[in-house]
Amino acid sequence: MKRREHNIFQSACMLLTLLTILFIGGNIAVIAFRGIRSLPECLHQSETLFAIYLSIKSACISSILCFLLSIAVSYVLTKTRLFCREVIEILLELTMSLPNIVLGLSMLILFSSPLGKALKSAGFPVVFNSSGVVLAQLVVNLPFAVKLTSTAFRGVDQKLERVAGLLGATQGKCFLTILLPLCKNGLISAFILVWSRALGEFGATLMLVGVTRMKTETLPASIYLDVSTNNLGGALASAFILLLISAVSLGIANHLARANRKLSRYES
Amino acid sequence: MNHNSDCLLEIQDLSVRRGNFSLEHINFSLQKNEIFSVIGKTGSGKTLLLEAVAGFYQPDQGKVLYGGIPMCEIPAFRRHIGYLYQDYSLFPHMTAFSNIAYGPKIQGVPKAEIQARVKEIAAQFEIGHILDQYPGTLSGGEQQRVALARALIMRPSLLLLDEPFSALDPVTKRNMYDMIQKIREDFCCSLIFVTHDFAEAERLADRIGVLIDGRLCGIVKSNELYSAEWDQAVQNFLGISEQNRRDCRDEGRTL
Repeated sequence: MKRREHNIFQSACMLLTLLTILFIGGNIAVIAFRGIRSLPECLHQSETLFAIYLSIKSACISSILCFLLSIAVSYVLTKTRLFCREVIEILLELTMSLPNIVLGLSMLILFSSPLGKALKSAGFPVVFNSSGVVLAQLVVNLPFAVKLTSTAFRGVDQKLERVAGLLGATQGKCFLTILLPLCKNGLISAFILVWSRALGEFGATLMLVGVTRMKTETLPASIYLDVSTNNLGGALASAFILLLISAVSLGIANHLARANRKLSRYES
Repeated sequence: MNHNSDCLLEIQDLSVRRGNFSLEHINFSLQKNEIFSVIGKTGSGKTLLLEAVAGFYQPDQGKVLYGGIPMCEIPAFRRHIGYLYQDYSLFPHMTAFSNIAYGPKIQGVPKAEIQARVKEIAAQFEIGHILDQYPGTLSGGEQQRVALARALIMRPSLLLLDEPFSALDPVTKRNMYDMIQKIREDFCCSLIFVTHDFAEAERLADRIGVLIDGRLCGIVKSNELYSAEWDQAVQNFLGISEQNRRDCRDEGRTL
């Protein structure tokens, strides 16, 4: 009887898994089959090459900044005594539920203020400029990155850090020799996820820097422009390029995580 | 402040609250080269007491004086305390060698000296053959010896042991009992260990404190555990009746 119940449960899960694969895979198939046809033509266009370049460059810069900030913030949130910790955590995660377009709007208002004008006169224009792409990706990804890195830090047994401290490690050395190596896998995965999200970010970028060909045109912006001009083939080709980049980055992330697991031999 | 030169540690009216549990008004002192054991049931606050002594928590009341200085005012990396957790807490991403060498390496000891010191202490603890292995591949007894070597290579003045023998088989346990005595002699350090095993405490400690529900009910010499005057709660915990206790006292023996 129990075995039969087990089989029914397993079969139900398998069926739902199949439906999920079909649902996600269907979308990927549409992009792949239709995008691949226009891909060669698309790759010869300077606009597409610019969009790939700007997308990868801005995603790399914003992800590195995002990662450094989130590590510092997560350390403070998880490893120090902090007054109103819960309020600060809620505040930092609050924007995760907002549409990216709203975050872009608030950034637009913020950087259109005297602060933004001061930044522009200091040689750092944000609004309608490619540097704004980085900031848009940063504001969208920061709460997400803080959540991921905090979870990774919380996963490390506090006793190990205490022992390291009693063995003579200062907080900085403890961070570098115990905490970082022990959450390396989590941090690598978090970085790749943040990078992938940055690559596909559109809403906040649209509001803050607009969509201008060969100036603020990221791959998602390129898709938007192509759809607006009824160039469906070009749009799906750009989407296919995004898919390829994501596939490669996720593959690298999984490979690094596997290699680290083997190296550290957490489980024997 | 008046400080007895033979006194290494002084706990004065210590109260620590963590969640719903609290240690209340703990008082005891530890002499240099003394082995002190705290016995108590699971959940009586033994680990919390040990962690509070190590200075991991700021006391809500009272103080932990270490060499006459409040423990919490001494940075962790300058305390010269060894701490052995129940699960040994070896660094899982380092080999046994790197675990033992961690302290000297952090303090900038030259590489050649680290090699020599690790080899010497590994020979003392008979773990020379497992130095290149990761903690996950070691048995409980081996892990414990690596953890002890890691703590003792720093020559601590005080070694705190949290139920150090609870996960060991009887043969390994007996070997470790001998090792504890040897540690006191060879490393000249004081030890506090917490346990729920009365026989273990009687055998190894000079003095024993009984902790019940966060309250240190009394401290006796280890050979007086069953003959001392205890309140009803301790008698229940030790499983002795008043008649048994009188008999033990009259005959000068333990149960």
